[in-house]
Amino acid sequence: MSEPFAPETVVVIDDDYAMRLSCGKILTKMGLRAETFEDGARGLEGVSASKPDMVIVDLKMPGISGMEVISRVHEIDPKIVIVVITGYATIDTAVQAMKCGAYDFLPKPFSPDELRLIVNRALERRRLTLESQRHEIERTMLKRRFVTFVSHQLRTPLVAIHQYLDVMKRLDPAADTPARRQEWIDRCLTRIEELQNLIADWLTLAQVEGGGLFRERVKVDLNQVIPDILKTYQQTAEADQIALEARLPDQPLLVWGDRGCLNVLFDNLITNALKYNKPGGSVTVTGTESQGEAVVAVADTGIGIPEKYRPFLFDEFFRVKSEGAKQTAGTGLGLHISKRIVSEMGGSIQVESEVGAGSTFQVRMPLWREPDGAKGS
Amino acid sequence: MPPKVLLIDDDADFRAAVKSLLTSQGYEVLEACSGREGLRMVVEHNPDVILLDIMMESTVEGYGVTHSLKYGEEYAEFRHIPIFMISSIEESPDERFPMAAEVDLIRPERYLTKPLDIPVFLRLLEKALGLGATKAQ
Repeated sequence: MSEPFAPETVVVIDDDYAMRLSCGKILTKMGLRAETFEDGARGLEGVSASKPDMVIVDLKMPGISGMEVISRVHEIDPKIVIVVITGYATIDTAVQAMKCGAYDFLPKPFSPDELRLIVNRALERRRLTLESQRHEIERTMLKRRFVTFVSHQLRTPLVAIHQYLDVMKRLDPAADTPARRQEWIDRCLTRIEELQNLIADWLTLAQVEGGGLFRERVKVDLNQVIPDILKTYQQTAEADQIALEARLPDQPLLVWGDRGCLNVLFDNLITNALKYNKPGGSVTVTGTESQGEAVVAVADTGIGIPEKYRPFLFDEFFRVKSEGAKQTAGTGLGLHISKRIVSEMGGSIQVESEVGAGSTFQVRMPLWREPDGAKGS
Repeated sequence: MPPKVLLIDDDADFRAAVKSLLTSQGYEVLEACSGREGLRMVVEHNPDVILLDIMMESTVEGYGVTHSLKYGEEYAEFRHIPIFMISSIEESPDERFPMAAEVDLIRPERYLTKPLDIPVFLRLLEKALGLGATKAQ
């Protein structure tokens, strides 16, 4: 079994002794585990034995060719990232190696900095692959253990509240202070709110899934829905020093939908944009028409979403975790519900984000059209 | 010197409550909010006992920690530290987490369910630390 927090391993296969020695030294200094081999056959044995994260292989070696090493390494494990060293830096050789599955190439001679750069980039790529695979596995497991997971989600805030109250009850009054008591009561209230939101979202989701939320599909003017929602958040936004504004067209922006669902949808997006923002920031809701669709973008200037999390953003119960950051109350269901609503209406939702600069959620949905024949001419 | 307890849990509120409880009992409490940070603190502070949540960012993160402590070369000198695994779900570890079967650091009496039953928890902690009936202080 692989060691979850062990240093990454890099195998270097090169017939040149000096090259093996210097690559080995540089990699070890980078905090990696380096193993070096002088030819393809031994290299492949080494790869089978140690299941490395990365392989650096010289293309031109006696015995098994570098090209063949690439495909044999990927037979052992297709997720091992491979970089080739090429002595004759022609584009053709590099392209051929990449076609065989190499991630990148290093033309000889190269500097230690060039090696470090390419190794870091390749390992980062590998980490992303592994991470998304891990999330994929978790997602499958999550579906299988759904009931367990939901009960964990519901229990977590309850456990915190229970533990606070129980400790408060037993703590020696001399060791307690009114300020701490007050702080704990506030935290209990926050966690109770979290629990209530979770239950409310859970019910909304059950309704969306049962189709029960879409009571009627009528002509809805987003030019009315959006300003109405913004009005309810104006005060919160001001308190958090966030500028909340709408940029909507002068004429109505009409879609086919259920007003209740559209409220839930934009409410979720605007709440998130405010919640994951910073003081002095802004939230801008823009509505336009484009190619027969209504396009609504909710843009914030908040903390942003790291790229590795974006593919899972709309999954149920998925929450972006930032280590050490203060826990933000949230259920992990809001975006999942939003996506379900948008799909039900025949639309799509996308996200663009930059860490530290903000995120933009863009919703596209079909414009309302006068039913055929109703208009006469 | 008071016994050092390392509390590894991603819920800040749970940590705050347990920390106050243990501090009032004379323990020194160190906190970590992830498995990775927890392992770092094991090496840095050499705690006397570890309280370890199972479900953190990943659903089996706690087991990643016990696994590293058991097999990782760099943790060899910390292998003896007693670990209490805590979770809000009553686990059947062998069935739920294949990895757990390998982790023989875990013994039944060292599984605790959240919320902690405070008198039982304090007694087990003293026992694990070899403090007997006497209080930590």
